[in-house]
Amino acid sequence: MSTPTHSQLVTFSNERGLRPTLDELCQNTQLLIRLRWAAGLGILSVTAVARFVLDIHLQTAPLMVIGVAVLAYNSLLSFTCRGDTTPRQVERVAWGQIILDWVAMTALVHFTGGITSPALIYFVIHAALAGTVLLPWQARGLAVLATAIVVGIALAERNGMLPHVSIPQFEMSDTLYTNRAYIIGVVFFFGTAIVTLSELVTRIAQRLRQREERIRQLYDARSTFLRVATHELRAPLGAGLSLMHNIQQGYAGEFTPQQGEILDRVTRRLEGLRTLIDDLLTLAASQEVTAAHVPLEPVSVCSVLDKIIEREMPNAERKNIQLTCDKTTDAGVVMAGDIGLGIILGNLLNNAIKYTPEGGKVNVKYRLNRPAQRVEITVSDTGIGIPAEDMPRLFDEFFRASNTKTLPVTGTGIGLSTVRTLLDRYQGHITIESEEGKGTTVQVTLPLAPRQSLGDK
Amino acid sequence: MTKKILVIDDDPDLVLAVRMPLESAGYKVFSAGTQAEGLAAVDEVKPDLIILDVMMDTHTAGFQLAQKLHGAGANPAHKAIPILMVTAVHQTTPLRFAPDEDYLPVDAFIDKPINPKALLDLVSSLLQKT
Repeated sequence: MSTPTHSQLVTFSNERGLRPTLDELCQNTQLLIRLRWAAGLGILSVTAVARFVLDIHLQTAPLMVIGVAVLAYNSLLSFTCRGDTTPRQVERVAWGQIILDWVAMTALVHFTGGITSPALIYFVIHAALAGTVLLPWQARGLAVLATAIVVGIALAERNGMLPHVSIPQFEMSDTLYTNRAYIIGVVFFFGTAIVTLSELVTRIAQRLRQREERIRQLYDARSTFLRVATHELRAPLGAGLSLMHNIQQGYAGEFTPQQGEILDRVTRRLEGLRTLIDDLLTLAASQEVTAAHVPLEPVSVCSVLDKIIEREMPNAERKNIQLTCDKTTDAGVVMAGDIGLGIILGNLLNNAIKYTPEGGKVNVKYRLNRPAQRVEITVSDTGIGIPAEDMPRLFDEFFRASNTKTLPVTGTGIGLSTVRTLLDRYQGHITIESEEGKGTTVQVTLPLAPRQSLGDK
Repeated sequence: MTKKILVIDDDPDLVLAVRMPLESAGYKVFSAGTQAEGLAAVDEVKPDLIILDVMMDTHTAGFQLAQKLHGAGANPAHKAIPILMVTAVHQTTPLRFAPDEDYLPVDAFIDKPINPKALLDLVSSLLQKT
């Protein structure tokens, strides 16, 4: 059975917090990359507008360079997180982009006035975004580092180690950047803001991750429970029924007609129980199969259909039912789950045989609908049919039509709802036509897998 | 000559359910309850057919035993004995358990609950092949 993709999750839980999953890292990186396009273009356009329209005195050249550089490294970054990047690579990209962004932001801040720069606020925003992919201690560390950088720029400019670039319109006086009180004030507000915001963001991200992890654990536990429980439930039934069959078939000596009748009744109830357990396991299996993270694969419909028909043939023969199959081709590949497709076709055929009395007919037709690019499987029987008033509720879980209850058939009603869930996942359709007392025809269609050349085979 | 059948299954009720029809059809039936006992019995009894349950003390005990008896590197004397595997897989997931040369080296499958008549038919056809 293919391992679900949650084995790819980079979850590692300890007091330091849950690491972001691969999916999360990829998604957030994509988001940052998209925002960065806007940022880069923003720097370029705002600089142009400020200088040439609003006549604000800026050092346009360095700012343009920064804008272009941002766009440049962003296009490099955007080639990652596609197709088959390894978790290692994704992490490296996540960190790489933070570092590159910081270099760009530091430069931006410097060229727009250092401690008097209105662009300081972007550091704070960036810290929030970065917090979505970092662990709490990392985010805190970066926040402190950012504050240190700002302090560094302020002191370097004050002491003349770094030339101060001033934007006159944004400075109340041209010595504002040396004013100690001003520096302390800005650093204080900046520092508290960035630390608070990044803390907030990482906490929210952590809580989300914990919830996801919890849900996944619950789901796994439930799956395991169902699997184990049904196996443990089946074993005694298997043994008990095997012994019953022995008595009924005469291998344990003679029995009175009344005893025989009791044996039949008991066997029937136990068979019903067995079917219920089987259906519950199918339901559980199909829920795993239809879970969003399980990938679909190309499946040859005909090969599954052939196996199902072979499997159901003895059941048909036992009731003297003529089971026939018409197909003009063996081609036809759909995107589905191998097991899931087997469940769908098995359920349809099983129902047809189950609800057709002795001596009846069940026919399976398989064809490719080339214009519609779909595969069509039609199962028709000469069975008891479905009463018109029951048709709307057929796909409800545990529903059994009113005319089945008086028959000696064991059906739990789980089947069709499972079939529908699976078909939704595979983008298939199902239509049912029936006339009570005459028979039922069920047609399932599925879209062909893309790039399937119908000319083959 | 009376054919000997070795039943390897840890469920005594199933062993009985299998023993009854086989003995009434004239076969001599031996049984073993674990993988280890089973392997020892194969050499001791030298059966004409082995009936093996898919799960015994552990979930894969049946498969493992089948591999030991018929898999690559197995004793040729063991490989010659046909194996009938008793499975508990329910009807809608049979696709994984078709007798497959590469994967599971058994000669036939039968589902639980056992249908005694079906079992006898299968056993006689397997014994005729050898």
